[in-house]
Amino acid sequence: MTDSASSAMDTRPASRLSSRSSLRLFLLSNEFGLLVLIIVFAALFHGLANGFLSPFNLFALGRNAAVNILIGLSMMTVLATGGLNLAIGAMGVAAAMACGWLIEGAGLAWPLAVLGGLALGAGLGVTNGWMVVKTGLHSFIITLATMSIFFGAMIFLSQGESYRALPAVFSDLGRARVFTFVSPMFLIAVGTALVLSVLYRYTVQGREMLAAGARPEAAEMSGVRVERTVIACHMLSGLLAALAALLLTARNGAAIPSMAGQLGQDWLLPAFLGPVLGGTLLQGGKVSVLGTCLGAFLVTMLTSGLLLMQVGAFWVQSFLGILLLLAVMIDKGRRSYLRRRNLA
Amino acid sequence: MNGEAIFEARDIVKTFPGVKALGGVGLSLMPGSIHALLGENGAGKSTLIKVVTGVHRPTSGELRLDGRSVDFGNPRDAIAAGIGVVHQERNLIPRFSVAENIHFESFGANRFKPIDYRRLNESAAEWLRMLDLDIDPAMSVTELSTARMQLVEIAKALSQKSRVLLLDEPTASLTSGETDTLFEILRRLRDNGTSLVFVSHKLEEVEALCDRVTVLRDGQNACESQSAEGLTRKDYVRLMIGRAESGSGWRKRDTRAAPQVLGLDDVASGLGHSGVGLSVRAGEIVGLYGLVGAGRTELARVILGQEPVTQGTVRIDGEAVRVADVSEAIHRYRLGYVSEDRKGEGLILQHSVLANAGVPIWRKLAGRFGFLSDATVRAAVLPYLTRLEVKTPSLDQTTANLSGGNQQKISVAKWLAAGVRLLIVDEPTVGIDIKTKAYLHDLLRELADGGTAILLISSDMPEIVALADRIVVMDAFRTKGSIENDGDYTTMSEKIMTRIQDRTPSGTSSGIGETARCA
Repeated sequence: MTDSASSAMDTRPASRLSSRSSLRLFLLSNEFGLLVLIIVFAALFHGLANGFLSPFNLFALGRNAAVNILIGLSMMTVLATGGLNLAIGAMGVAAAMACGWLIEGAGLAWPLAVLGGLALGAGLGVTNGWMVVKTGLHSFIITLATMSIFFGAMIFLSQGESYRALPAVFSDLGRARVFTFVSPMFLIAVGTALVLSVLYRYTVQGREMLAAGARPEAAEMSGVRVERTVIACHMLSGLLAALAALLLTARNGAAIPSMAGQLGQDWLLPAFLGPVLGGTLLQGGKVSVLGTCLGAFLVTMLTSGLLLMQVGAFWVQSFLGILLLLAVMIDKGRRSYLRRRNLA
Repeated sequence: MNGEAIFEARDIVKTFPGVKALGGVGLSLMPGSIHALLGENGAGKSTLIKVVTGVHRPTSGELRLDGRSVDFGNPRDAIAAGIGVVHQERNLIPRFSVAENIHFESFGANRFKPIDYRRLNESAAEWLRMLDLDIDPAMSVTELSTARMQLVEIAKALSQKSRVLLLDEPTASLTSGETDTLFEILRRLRDNGTSLVFVSHKLEEVEALCDRVTVLRDGQNACESQSAEGLTRKDYVRLMIGRAESGSGWRKRDTRAAPQVLGLDDVASGLGHSGVGLSVRAGEIVGLYGLVGAGRTELARVILGQEPVTQGTVRIDGEAVRVADVSEAIHRYRLGYVSEDRKGEGLILQHSVLANAGVPIWRKLAGRFGFLSDATVRAAVLPYLTRLEVKTPSLDQTTANLSGGNQQKISVAKWLAAGVRLLIVDEPTVGIDIKTKAYLHDLLRELADGGTAILLISSDMPEIVALADRIVVMDAFRTKGSIENDGDYTTMSEKIMTRIQDRTPSGTSSGIGETARCA
């Protein structure tokens, strides 16, 4: 990003940060790295596995990526505060189940039920955030506890039964294709990501979230209401988790208590993989929406490609675990390189 | 100098990126003596201690032990050479036993040999007995009082066969009874030949205890390893504070006609303030002077609404107000605060220059639904960053990469951009080079000329005398009246010192706010 302002700063020659150096910065960025990996693996899978780039597989890929992207974004909003949210799976499933009950049990129209589900997700997020702020405990403990509480309450209230008689809009959304190979679910995820990009870059609320995450003491002394902001981050996380679960419901054509695994734990690996691969700092204060999306997409693609190559599902899990470790180490090396060069 | 120095530091220079912390400092320690190391905040005491104890390597200069040149690569080397230190902050491992803590460093000898706890406890008990400490060595240190933890640390340092023992503000959290006990022990150690270095802001203690003294000021020796005989509290203060800097730039400004912006009347706070009275008019610079631990920064926090006012009234523009939180202080009452802890709460180091300069005005600049573009923020803050000559390759540069002086300029610029009516400036020039310091002084004057009320908190007396129209003296969380400044350093420092020395015997309460500070 070169800007006219740098030339207005009177000091060191502004041309130092020329387009060449910002190009180099871009080439060293997580986002670019991910893009390269995505292209390389796409080519690899195309060569090795039959039908990887077929319209149907691309469609399925987009559908899965949509859910993973939203799960990643849901974690990212809390990572921004320097905390984490282990409960996103439980919150998401609880929201989807609530939506199912509102339709089948309470007889509400589906748009209202969807809003109800999203509101529950946001409300559970507020609960998390409020407890984190008021107790001063790390969000790890709080969300570890609420993960079990939310999930347990959901199983108790739903008695473990799925809601399968949902209106056709859900399965229609899951089945629909745009231009023969794009799932509208993918478009919803991309749209959400765009909204988040705007939030973090162009709104006071988003900027304050990052400031409060990077250095709460300094943010407070500069007039940011840190506690309120942290709660807002958790609320956003709950909302995104609910949206992810609703999309998953559309894909399955049903709201199923086990759709994110026991306690919603199946979501944890993709939730961390997306943001961490994408360059979101675990210490808080910096997020990358684009990086999270690319990271989530890469993970989805690797899963799908490996499955197409008929590698066992358990190997896929191991592979993703290795990928997470590798990503963190590469990122560490990259950042110390940048620091040594005084680039960032 | 008579006698053989056991340890000497010669011509020590230590530079950090952007700051010269020590510019050729000397220190020589005699066996069987208690050596006071004095200096105001930022004078370089902590840096010198860290060099002596192997935490920092000096940029240049020489350390000599028993007349031989030594080089400490890390703190272990220094300990092995017989140099022990009891730091200001506690360094015991919580929940471990007293004996384990005392002998922790010697555990490493054989990694897999089971620890013989009976022997460990016995040997620890011996050291504790030496200090007259009636503590069960098997007890967990967490159960001890702060004072006793301190003494356990001393026992630990002694068990490492320390011949030189540095004590950094050991009495900060002790009651006067505990202090007396500590002093007795220190005197006995001295009589047994140990060389002690005593760092404290409490000059009475220095007078009572020390026989030699080194004073640091701005990273230089104000006096080096001289006998403390005949020196009084007044001499120490003069050495620590020094003469006024040349070209102080003070000029008479009359603001008596201007309306009051901030008024405190008999304010007491949850932090321990009582009877605090203070008034700052528009365009006036009021200096708030006091020694470390007098409660000045804490008062700033009370004014900003971070800590509750329990009694008295706070007036802003003549109206009694109750500021709910810092956000309200900034956005509603338009107060600003330049923190003394620049890296901790003044700036978000991880974020860019632009983000830092803009935080307080984001809300003001935002359009509908809180939308805000970089261009808007840039247009609002750039004039101030340019005016303050902030040196940065671009506004997108991470502030962590800038020098201390530039960081401080940004933390001032953000309040200029916010257009505050009252700016509280806390130790604005600590750790900042002389040129930037003069620049910041000019800026504060200019700002006041423009009508901003300024409350200047500083431990740097020349700075206060050079800038303030009026000086309010604070001691032990109380204000002790205000003095009109006439710009003459000698008479003013005299007057200020009389106010501080005029202490009611309430010395114990002054320790409350002292914890987070170090020199």
